[in-house]
Amino acid sequence: MQSSAAAPGLHRTLYRRFAEDAQLADGLGFAALWVGEHRLWYDGWCPAPLHALAYAAGVTERIHLGTAMYLVPQHEPLAAARAMAALDDVSGGRFELGAGLGYRDPEFDALGLRRDRRGRLMEEYLDALEEAWAETGRRAPRIWMGGFAAPAIARAARRGYGLLLPQTLTVEEVRRVVADYRSQGGPGPVGLLREAWIGEGGERHAGRVALHLSEEAGSWFPLRDGFGFAAPEQVARQAERGRRNVALGSPEEVAAALRDVMGAGVDHVAVRFAFEFVEQPALHEQLHRLAEEVAPQL
Amino acid sequence: MRFLLENPDAVRAAEAARDAGLDGVLLADLPAPLITAAALAGQVEDVLVAAEVTLGDRHPLELAEEAIVTDLALGGRLILVVRPAEGAEERFDEALDLLRLCLTPRPFRFEGRFWRVPANLPQNVWLPEEQVRVTPSPPRARLELWTSEHGSSGRDGGLSPSMIAGGMADGGTQFACREQWGEVALLIERLRAARPEWAVVAAPVDAARELGSIVRPRVQLHRLSPGLEAFWNAERPWEC
Repeated sequence: MQSSAAAPGLHRTLYRRFAEDAQLADGLGFAALWVGEHRLWYDGWCPAPLHALAYAAGVTERIHLGTAMYLVPQHEPLAAARAMAALDDVSGGRFELGAGLGYRDPEFDALGLRRDRRGRLMEEYLDALEEAWAETGRRAPRIWMGGFAAPAIARAARRGYGLLLPQTLTVEEVRRVVADYRSQGGPGPVGLLREAWIGEGGERHAGRVALHLSEEAGSWFPLRDGFGFAAPEQVARQAERGRRNVALGSPEEVAAALRDVMGAGVDHVAVRFAFEFVEQPALHEQLHRLAEEVAPQL
Repeated sequence: MRFLLENPDAVRAAEAARDAGLDGVLLADLPAPLITAAALAGQVEDVLVAAEVTLGDRHPLELAEEAIVTDLALGGRLILVVRPAEGAEERFDEALDLLRLCLTPRPFRFEGRFWRVPANLPQNVWLPEEQVRVTPSPPRARLELWTSEHGSSGRDGGLSPSMIAGGMADGGTQFACREQWGEVALLIERLRAARPEWAVVAAPVDAARELGSIVRPRVQLHRLSPGLEAFWNAERPWEC
């Protein structure tokens, strides 16, 4: 639901399409639909994923609705707990919480929060969420911890949450992270975000994914050699990681790439086609092909 | 005057409002009214959705973002109704000022007693901003914002949702049929006389039909043309 320099769009239209996309994904039998969160960025990245998912909940029947990620430290926890409970109710128990830290200083600063306190806030707010659910006697939603850094893995294992890994990891890195998580008693499941493109145009798509990641890294990332675009080589490396990890080719080749990550210990792959530069007909064709031509091979 | 129906089952209330030609539904006293509103968006078309939320108990920027996303889902049908959160009454006025800025599609800086946006904390070193702009923007020129009657200031011109059935009228908790028409008319007379500033009326979902066919026609004009009410009373194709 982004309206970027590369592909501008009207948000009202983008949200209506989101509901249509959710309905198609539901009809095709996908297990879950994932929505991310950022705030105060020029492209209107969705700052309230629970509310976008509630919209999807109203027009779908069985697909699970998850956040990848909900930036826990940036939300007042009691209101968040009420919103999550309400989302779980309107969706008939289909909500899953992917919990992320957030990393952009301007997001924290606008809310009057210190970014360097985000780890502490994460712990405190997760406690508050769990307490709120326990008090009302509610079944807690399935929780996935986002990220791949050591504290995130330790936190996931300690709290008994699943792990939801970012798309930039290679198969080998996934294997290492999963081993680390398991060695600390992490009960799973393990999920992974992955970009993919089935059939014609895979290289071109991967190139555009790389540009998309360049814009994010260039605008948002404090890098070793400077901030964002001031460290062009590191931005380029980040983009290259993104390009390399796109699963592309024939349905057989995409299936093989997804089998590789599953072989590295991943239980759930969240495949992302939905970038702002992908037109809706192409997105729907990809969803069809993933469900009908790739999924049977997994 | 706007007519809104109220019911814990938001979808049922919205459908009843639509079928009775009323303006929409009021979601009040719910744990997360904007979640309910967003879930309703794709299920019932056309009706307005007024969601009453508390203000002052958390960052108004967060609330603004939730309202905008919900309004996008609703295609611009959201009415955000705010009332002071319990125990945060003294923060209400400032929160309302900040909320208004957050709902406006231009950059702003805000310095209040309780909130400062951006905060410019010395620990947040990467790309400190002088101003912020909330994105995405509401899908309309201006997102509709009402303060409920509990509001401390009444700064929005008395757009107070108030029950006409279920409390205000003596004995008139529900509109029924024939024998209560007189009572309904009396109720409206009282309502207009006592609360000329009311722009909104909220009623239970059971009252939908009577509200649509009896009450609403009678309050759309300042004065009914001679004989019209008698005609309505004589010709009742909607009679139950």
